[in-house]
Amino acid sequence: MADFETQIRESQDQVARAQAKISEITGKIETARSKLDAGEGAIDIENATLEDVHQHTDLMNANIAELIMGLDDVTAGFSRDFDEMRSKTGMESVIGFFSSAKSESMRQERLRGASIDDKLQDLIAKSDVIVRLLQGQLDMLNTQKTRVESNLTGTLEEREGTVAALEAVRAEILAMDPKIITLENQIAVEQDAAARTRLETEMAALNGRYNGLVQDEQVMLAKSQTLERYIEKGKTWVDSLQNQAATQMVLINKLQTDTKQRVVLYDALTSSLKTAQQQDVAHRINEIGVKTDQEAQAAMAAIGSATNDRMADMLEAHEDHMVFARKILEQKAKADERFARRFASIVEKHDKNAYGE
Amino acid sequence: MPASTLTDDHAALNDTLIARRYFEKFDRINGHMAHVSAELEAEGYLSRLEARMIGGYVARLAASFRALSHKYLMTGRIVGVLPGQPTFDRHESGFPIAGELMMMAVDAQQAAAHLAGMASEVELKDRMVRQIVGDLTIPTQLQYALSQRLYYEALAVGGLFWARNDPDAQWIGNEGARRRYLLHWAVYDTQVNLPVIYLMEVEDSGNTPLPKCARRWPAVQAHLMAQSLQGLKLLTIAQGFDTDFADLHPKSLRRIHLGPMYSNSYTLQSGPISEVLAAANAPAGEDWALVWTVEDLQSEREERVKDGWFSSVDRQIFTLDPFAGRGAETGTTRMERMIVLPERPFQALVEKNPAGFAEVRKFVVSAGGRVIAQR
Repeated sequence: MADFETQIRESQDQVARAQAKISEITGKIETARSKLDAGEGAIDIENATLEDVHQHTDLMNANIAELIMGLDDVTAGFSRDFDEMRSKTGMESVIGFFSSAKSESMRQERLRGASIDDKLQDLIAKSDVIVRLLQGQLDMLNTQKTRVESNLTGTLEEREGTVAALEAVRAEILAMDPKIITLENQIAVEQDAAARTRLETEMAALNGRYNGLVQDEQVMLAKSQTLERYIEKGKTWVDSLQNQAATQMVLINKLQTDTKQRVVLYDALTSSLKTAQQQDVAHRINEIGVKTDQEAQAAMAAIGSATNDRMADMLEAHEDHMVFARKILEQKAKADERFARRFASIVEKHDKNAYGE
Repeated sequence: MPASTLTDDHAALNDTLIARRYFEKFDRINGHMAHVSAELEAEGYLSRLEARMIGGYVARLAASFRALSHKYLMTGRIVGVLPGQPTFDRHESGFPIAGELMMMAVDAQQAAAHLAGMASEVELKDRMVRQIVGDLTIPTQLQYALSQRLYYEALAVGGLFWARNDPDAQWIGNEGARRRYLLHWAVYDTQVNLPVIYLMEVEDSGNTPLPKCARRWPAVQAHLMAQSLQGLKLLTIAQGFDTDFADLHPKSLRRIHLGPMYSNSYTLQSGPISEVLAAANAPAGEDWALVWTVEDLQSEREERVKDGWFSSVDRQIFTLDPFAGRGAETGTTRMERMIVLPERPFQALVEKNPAGFAEVRKFVVSAGGRVIAQR
């Protein structure tokens, strides 16, 4: 497992590269658009380029997902701390061989000084670094998406216009057919040469117009098809951008939920470890000096009943706690599920600890 | 990461207006907190110095919340993940979660860099006017930029309440050969998400004055911060301190929990207070009740105890609540609960007269913002 800093730098690098590729494609789409305006029909966004970008962003996301998973390894430091709070150090064990009381008091002193606050702050800072990385990518994807989308809207309008014109031309061509047939019939039955010549001139003009319209139809058809292809590409790209943005959102969501829970969980664990280890000892110690004090013993006896009262209170509070707990658990399950769906393979690798295989 | 139920009572505020109303409420409540501590000082419950320390922490808390309100000013109006939504603990706290303050500490480290790269307030406002007049659109992005600028400016100014505020010492006087100090520090508890202030009176029999002692002072600070846990009773903390520092003698220890804040529309609460707030049906701005809990531990006498074969040290014996057998064992000499609430909830409280509130000191905030103590 590479250390966090290296991994972060690697991810930043990949994000930068992915962003360059993404902007390149958006740039190409925009160039194609201006070429279309200039009357050129070629669109040089190959599917291969899209594939390339996808591959690259997949790689980047996998890297970031691993980074998020990797935070688990960063947090392994916490469990070391917890273990230390639970057990005795080597020195304490050795002293415990001679005097268990001295060993215990040493351990108590160590426990009183133990704190995980710095580590918690570190965890938050690290997860913030990743969130900002992801946020940067998400912002970029969103701006690209808006640009391509506004571009597409214009193109769609243009295509609508083209299609309408095409329809009009086709209607005109259809309307010309009966006229031409009538004229042909008239020419066939006309005996007078002068009138026939006039009709034939008329016929030639009509034919010319017809051919012109057919040509127009071809041109418009071609334009409409080009625009359609362009729209197709643009749509694919918007879809892809949207998909990538969704992935970023899932990653951020997962990371934020986890970090929030971790902070609370680790703190709760430290607190309960320290409380459990110290509290009863402290009370016993206070009574050593006050051996004759009867009220202390009364207090000790009362602890039993007080604890029962406290339990009852807690159970009562627990009831309405559960009502909304369930709701939030569902949300959490959803976030986890989304994450698992997207990163099933990485999760599997992580769980099996099969990096680098 | 295994699922945990510990964060289930954290709720995010997604709506702009709801989030703003939440911070507005706190701004007002923070103002009243200062009045309450002044009132307690006038009664002689707190010494002048203690009241000043508490006032200082309350002011810092207010500054922190104001910074957070800037950070989340545009929540719900801008699309994106940052800065996200303000998250608060809605069960038995009502305060923002401790994670918010930790996040603020991370942001504060980068405040200078952010400010250097941002347009100034005047420039942003100028651009806003241009956009409004020129494009006839709402300058959401600029508003967001300005809110973040104000946030980072607040962080750069400082004087904020952090997740942990390390101990400071104030010399009070001399007691024979011993110096007396008031140590004060504060933490934002991660478990219950409440600000907690600690005040400890200490007698110092060492050779060097405590705050100048390079050997003891950093150790004292680290020790006290590591022991500032909600779950530890005052007796436990004081005993541990007494044991670990042979020439420091804790004479009294006070712990003040500033909260929870109850509100019918924001928080979930069990017990009589929920009925009181529901019955009050107070308009926005008056729908809250703030509880203060002051735990107090006093040293009764000092005994000379053998420590090892050849040395002996002074150990404190603390007075415990003579009625301790009555309820939960508190590990304090006395514990007092106070509740601060506006007129309407107070009226509802008096009418309902729920059991258990007779011994709670009540402070009523009148419409003019005056705080009146009630029994």
